[in-house]
Amino acid sequence: MRVFFALLFRNRLAGIGGVVLAIIVALVLLTPVLPLQNPDVTAMGDRFLRPLSPGHLLGTDALGRDLLSRLLWGTRLSLAVGFAAAVAAGLIGSAVGIIAGYAGGRIDNAIMRFVDMLMAFPYILLALAIVAALGPGLMNALIAVAAVNVPFFARNIRGITVGLASRDFIDAARLSGKGHVRIVLTELLPNVLPVIVIAMSTTIGWMILETAGLSFLGLGSQPPQADLGSMLGEARAAMISAPHTSVVPGVMIFLIVMSINLLGDGVRDALDPRLKSGALTRPMAATRVARRNVPEAQGSGLLQIDDLEAQFHVGRRVYRAVNGVSLSIAPGECVGLIGESGSGKSVTALSVMGLVASPPGVITGGAVRLADEDLIGAPYARLRALRGNKVAYVFQDPLSTLHPLYRVGDQLTEAITSHHRISAHEARERALKLLADVRIPNPAARLSAYPHELSGGMRQRIGIAMALANEPEVIIADEPTTALDVTVQAQVLALLDDLRRRKNVAIVFITHDFGIVGQLCDRVAVMYAGRIVEEGPTERVLSDPAHPYTRRLIACVPELGGGRRQLPAIPGLPPAVDQLPEGCAFAPRCDRATPDCAQGEIGLRGSLRKVRCIHPEAEVGA
Amino acid sequence: MSSPILTRRAFGRLSASLLATTALSPAIAWAETPPGVLVVGQVAEPQSLDPAADTAVNDFRILVNLYEGLVRYKHGTLEVEPALAESWTISEDGTEYTFKLRSGVKFHDGTPFDADAVKFNFDRMLVDTHPYHDTGPFPLSFFFSAVTETTVVDPQTVHFKLNAPYAPFLSNLAYPTGLLVSPTAVAKDGKDFGRNPVGTGPFKFKSWKSNESVIIERNDAYWGDKAATQAVIFRPITDANTRVAEMLAGGIDLMVEVPPTSLAQFTPPQFDVVEQAGPHLWFLILDCKEGPFADKRVRQAANFAINKEAICNDVLEGTAVVAAGPTPPAFAWAYDKSLQPYPYDPDKARALLKEAGQEAPEITFYVTQGGSGMLDPVAMGTAIQADLAAVGFKVKIETFEWNTFLGKVNPGLEGKADMAEMAWMTNDPDTLPYLALRTAAWPDKGGFNSGYYSNPEVDKLLDAARTSTDQAERATLYKQMQQIVHDDAPWVFVANWKQNAVTNDKVSNFSLEPSFFLQLQGVVKS
Amino acid sequence: MGRYILRRLISAVPVLLGITVIVFLIMAMIPGDPAAAILGSYATPDNVARLNRELGLEGPLWQRYLLWLWHLLHGDLGRSYALNRPVLDEVLERFSATLVLAGASFILCAVFGILAGVVSAARQYGFADKAITFVVLIGISVPAFFLGMMMILLFAVDLRWLPVSGMYAIYGGGDLMDLLRHLIMPATALAAVATGVIARLTRGAMLEVLRQDYIRTARAKGVHERRVIWGHALRAAMVSVIPVLGIQAGFVLSGAVYIETVFQWPGIGRMLVDAILKRDIVLVQGGVVFVAACYVLFNIAVDVAQSLLDPRIKT
Repeated sequence: MRVFFALLFRNRLAGIGGVVLAIIVALVLLTPVLPLQNPDVTAMGDRFLRPLSPGHLLGTDALGRDLLSRLLWGTRLSLAVGFAAAVAAGLIGSAVGIIAGYAGGRIDNAIMRFVDMLMAFPYILLALAIVAALGPGLMNALIAVAAVNVPFFARNIRGITVGLASRDFIDAARLSGKGHVRIVLTELLPNVLPVIVIAMSTTIGWMILETAGLSFLGLGSQPPQADLGSMLGEARAAMISAPHTSVVPGVMIFLIVMSINLLGDGVRDALDPRLKSGALTRPMAATRVARRNVPEAQGSGLLQIDDLEAQFHVGRRVYRAVNGVSLSIAPGECVGLIGESGSGKSVTALSVMGLVASPPGVITGGAVRLADEDLIGAPYARLRALRGNKVAYVFQDPLSTLHPLYRVGDQLTEAITSHHRISAHEARERALKLLADVRIPNPAARLSAYPHELSGGMRQRIGIAMALANEPEVIIADEPTTALDVTVQAQVLALLDDLRRRKNVAIVFITHDFGIVGQLCDRVAVMYAGRIVEEGPTERVLSDPAHPYTRRLIACVPELGGGRRQLPAIPGLPPAVDQLPEGCAFAPRCDRATPDCAQGEIGLRGSLRKVRCIHPEAEVGA
Repeated sequence: MSSPILTRRAFGRLSASLLATTALSPAIAWAETPPGVLVVGQVAEPQSLDPAADTAVNDFRILVNLYEGLVRYKHGTLEVEPALAESWTISEDGTEYTFKLRSGVKFHDGTPFDADAVKFNFDRMLVDTHPYHDTGPFPLSFFFSAVTETTVVDPQTVHFKLNAPYAPFLSNLAYPTGLLVSPTAVAKDGKDFGRNPVGTGPFKFKSWKSNESVIIERNDAYWGDKAATQAVIFRPITDANTRVAEMLAGGIDLMVEVPPTSLAQFTPPQFDVVEQAGPHLWFLILDCKEGPFADKRVRQAANFAINKEAICNDVLEGTAVVAAGPTPPAFAWAYDKSLQPYPYDPDKARALLKEAGQEAPEITFYVTQGGSGMLDPVAMGTAIQADLAAVGFKVKIETFEWNTFLGKVNPGLEGKADMAEMAWMTNDPDTLPYLALRTAAWPDKGGFNSGYYSNPEVDKLLDAARTSTDQAERATLYKQMQQIVHDDAPWVFVANWKQNAVTNDKVSNFSLEPSFFLQLQGVVKS
Repeated sequence: MGRYILRRLISAVPVLLGITVIVFLIMAMIPGDPAAAILGSYATPDNVARLNRELGLEGPLWQRYLLWLWHLLHGDLGRSYALNRPVLDEVLERFSATLVLAGASFILCAVFGILAGVVSAARQYGFADKAITFVVLIGISVPAFFLGMMMILLFAVDLRWLPVSGMYAIYGGGDLMDLLRHLIMPATALAAVATGVIARLTRGAMLEVLRQDYIRTARAKGVHERRVIWGHALRAAMVSVIPVLGIQAGFVLSGAVYIETVFQWPGIGRMLVDAILKRDIVLVQGGVVFVAACYVLFNIAVDVAQSLLDPRIKT
């Protein structure tokens, strides 16, 4: 609960909304005990007094009644009605929507036609029918307003439900033998709830307004009782000569609507688990940079990373994802970057072109040099000119990394036309050639396909083709084969290897799989908790790991033909990167750890082979 | 802005600053119309321009400029004077009327106006077998239901035979239902005559765009004084605020039914407000049959308890005067000037309630949201509720939209409510009491006596007044009726509305008629 | 696609028929009848009965409905009691006026709503975002008639830049410029609420989309940020915005009632309200059929647009 509020108030606007709403609610709850004038007593002599008149803080209305008193009593009533109507409409509408969306088929069709009917229906007629059937009064206005909004909710929620009902987790729930009711309640509802909450919060204000519209049909509170809607309605006649009678309830409605909306946004964000990782904020075009000094180049690679530090700032917490990583990649070289998830390998790779999602990501130190040009803090225009042009990326899971609504060909040519002014025809020719390069059969037909129409391997080839589009000097491949099955994986790796050799492209290959590293990479760097703990030529590291962590990682790889060997998982979990221990971060999980492992800074030793360990499994030499 | 209140002055300032910042050229007046073209802001779109089919005052305002009847109301009064008939005679028994028609009058389509045309008009409304009876419906034809036969004596003489003496007959002929249309045009347009009107009046029809405008032009062949303007444009503007804004912006030259709260906006010399009391009564129907109001003392208490002065002067901003009895003062000859309104006397009201043994009567009060002649019914109802509550009544208001309201009130209040708002505008002192106060007018007998008032003496007086053709005799009877009804208090007499209109400084020679019609032939637009 | 549209059109027929049945039932259920409404003060039972006979309002309800339906199938929508003219003439005239108004304001709310939502999302928590949120919420919370009247007072009465009300100048005018001048205020006022809803929705959808992997892919390719936002991200966000455009169209149509009243726009919203209040059942039916058909057609168009935009949707 405290976390919830902390999250809620982190959004300052939501906080303001919450405070305003709380004040309003407190005021209306206190209304009966506040020293207010009787809201119904008329005083013809004092009609249309302006605000701040003596005895009437907000002035008086057409019958000389105190506006402040009527405002508070009216707000009390309107809030209750608006809230009740929103909840009623939300509940019924959402129920209908979920049923239609979940059931699908004929039931869906029948329900939605009925909903269409209601939506196309002039609701004033519906309201009149309700007065006729039930008589005038606020309660009936509530029913009318709620009834009018049911189809709105139903349509909205149905749309979302339809999208969810076809997802895997619903199928999984069905297969596991859960009943329909349980699936709806435990699987669907939690996912549509935020939308329902938001829709409800936005409609409350609208519903209060709508009662003003209905008041001329006799629906709404009966005089002399005040509600915000009827106050507006009554003030309408005097709008030109005494606008304050309209403005007073109008401002109150505005305050309610605004505070509810802002708060609603905040609640939605706070309820959203993704927000906790800071992911709901929108990533900017380039990662924010806040570094104090620029380190000297420690090598002369084509791509030279020096003392790179990247952090995630979420609220008051700081997650130190990358802590002083240095890496050097020569032209045509393939370097593997390996580690468990969360070790900082992807962040390191994304930092190169400023692609770390920011907020919350910040590059706090170090340099990334491409052919001696420092890219950290480079202006956006420069970064953009290099992205995909000199340094290209291939990402994991090509289904989510390809735009689902663009044709593959368009996405491919876009990679070219972003950097080269060429004709559409020429771009197409080059796209065809690229597809041929990555060995996609029948490339002309594939160009007009959408990503969802292709297989996973095919999509990844498209991803690689896209990376090759501008003949880059460096390709950063971030777990490009993780989502693929083994045979496709082998094909993709072979393809990458072939390209590297033919085109002399440097490749940074990020993976958690030593098997792949062994097939492809000249050198390998092992990352743990944001640092490189071991680095060296691939065979040397594989055959003779120096860092205990590397050894354990290698032990996890099943050997081809090795039979059903036990895969010993590494006990324990990597440390949370917002609370890194002193000394070696792996020490708590290490069977070779001694007390001095948890003390001071442990440096990376060695030159050709490097290791960050005071009790290495093998000596790495000077 | 430091103050959230947008006064008109603040708006001025706001606009001035906007003007300064945007540096736009001086304001352009879009709404300019040339001299001689008068633009009138109406309250609604007309239903039809066929006088036989119309029922609304709003439509009458246009009709009386296009058409004329045999007789008309004398300027500034509700007394009848000759129009297309030069003179008339009434038989001794009051059942035969003979009219001598004006000669040389032509309809706008060039066809002559004669006795045949008059007969065509009345037969069309009244005779089921008339070939053009299906161009109706004719909702108000019952005004002439006493007519059994219309005969053409000669081209300039027409004769009506009534089934019984019927005093309001002449007055009804002056009412828009008695306006005369061109038979040729009806034959030509049939059911669509209402959108292609042809009459004999000082203006002729030019065009009608749905919900935008009705335009009429000067009839240069008019037999009397030619109209002083070249054309009149009637614009329906339903929303009162918008009408006021159009008037302020110069989009219309003349507007009727100015909302009371907006009157302060219209000050000389730029604007001129015109007022005219008319035959209107705003009252509360009380259920005399059951509930607290079955007791006359409780009814009188209600009359004493309600501060009618405050309602007329404050809620209605002086656009109405306090009503004394069932007959509006506009019927000068029939109105009893000695009658005094019930004074505002809460103590007297409390005393009467105590005397009746009902110190806290519970009543249900039907209020409408608005309707013909209802003025500002919700605000008035609320003020009335507050006044009644102050002397001990426990009043529960139920509001309804106008036609729902009529659907509830007209069948009688019994079992539903004790009190209901109502307003009438009539053309003859006979109409309202005859339809709403007689025992024979209880809802189940086909009248509007929704409060079940019954006093045999009143019944007798009203029957007698209706059949007498002598105005002095009728006046005496009506005055007696007013005294009795005033004392019996079957209604709470609240207000007589003063119709108002605003003109801008380009309009002159304009005045309102007690009949609520809008005679525009003399109006000058510069 | 053609077959899909045809199927949707066919399935719209029962919807429209259902609506006419409900309208008929409701109109019969509410107190007050057309004759009484026409007669007003003079609605004595005798007069009402006589007039109802002349209006052809006798006979059982179902008979009258079937008769109406029979005429409808022959292209005859009947004759309005209150207006003394064929329903079709009136409805066509008024409906075209509403189409102009609702169309203009729909374009306004779609363009400005999406624009504001995108800018708001692109500048999340920045000044532009907060300013847009504030303005948009004012739009949602101010009653249309209030907004309309304030605009009239400012721009028409005080500044005299624009005409107060109506669709064309009653004297002179009548050209496109004249229409546009008259259209600006009502279309803006009518668009206010829907703009707010669409803006907030677009903002949410954009934020959701912007953190998707394919946006990172686009950036990694070196696609210009402008194109990332207004191309890649907006296109994906539209998938969740478009269905709501359909819903908002309905709200724009019903909101038109107030705006048409305030600005004296000769549209069908006001006509329907008047017809309902006058119990002009034939006119109500005619109007509702048109409005409903328009709404249904629009939603079919929305669904078609949706499936054109999103190749994953099967039609």
